[in-house]
Amino acid sequence: MPPENGSYATAAYIIVAVVVTLYTVILWRRGRHP
Amino acid sequence: MTLDSAAATRSIRRGRLLTLVALLGLAGLYVLAIQFTPTERFQGLAQKIFYVHPPAAYAMQLAFVVTGITSALYLWLRDPRLDAFAEASAEVAMWLGLIVVITGPIWGRPAWGVWWAWDPRLTFTLIELMVFAGYFALRTAVPEPEERAKFAAVVGITALVLVPFNHLTVYLFASQHPTPVVLDPSALGSPDAKLPPAMLRTFLTGMGVFTLFYLGFVMQRYGIGVRRLIREHDDAS
Repeated sequence: MPPENGSYATAAYIIVAVVVTLYTVILWRRGRHP
Repeated sequence: MTLDSAAATRSIRRGRLLTLVALLGLAGLYVLAIQFTPTERFQGLAQKIFYVHPPAAYAMQLAFVVTGITSALYLWLRDPRLDAFAEASAEVAMWLGLIVVITGPIWGRPAWGVWWAWDPRLTFTLIELMVFAGYFALRTAVPEPEERAKFAAVVGITALVLVPFNHLTVYLFASQHPTPVVLDPSALGSPDAKLPPAMLRTFLTGMGVFTLFYLGFVMQRYGIGVRRLIREHDDAS
């Protein structure tokens, strides 16, 4: 029976999504003004 | 000076499109990893970090290598676009590095029992990121564009030494960090050592998604960097 440790993967997945979304927003804002 | 404002805008637009595709790809990767990939027998659900941590690390190293190559080419050709690309790639590498050093400990806790170990691979990755933090500190400290590009390129080239050395840390030293399980030459032909097809498919999807993130981010950041160089050039003349 595999250990019950899904919270680690959930945390990692949320952090990856937050970091890439944050950088996407930062680049979007920086790229708006020519 | 061969800087083109319209080309910079095109690069930003294409980068945005690729980034949006990558974001959708990340959502797809999560569904694939959670719903359609078997759970590993010993590590349990925590092993699913495998589908984001090594792909982010690969994309980070790719970004550092591109920084190193474009830095070397800058010193040779003295084209400011190469410096802008090296800077863009280094910045993207730092963001990908942030993902690597956060997801690594989150996986380390359930797999090793500790959040962080001063293991050669982990320590060297941290050194790599610190060198590139220095790269940006240096860029901020030198206002003159040509001088800045020249000094930064020298630091950027160190990536060409650091990246292969970091890859070899797991072979050269006694390391807790696992050696590659997909690109492992010794595993070829051995049915036991291979990753099950469903896990391999999800892992390769992760590699594709992070490659798209790298391309999307670097194209946007390159366009932004070229615009800044054009502004600096206009201010100086």
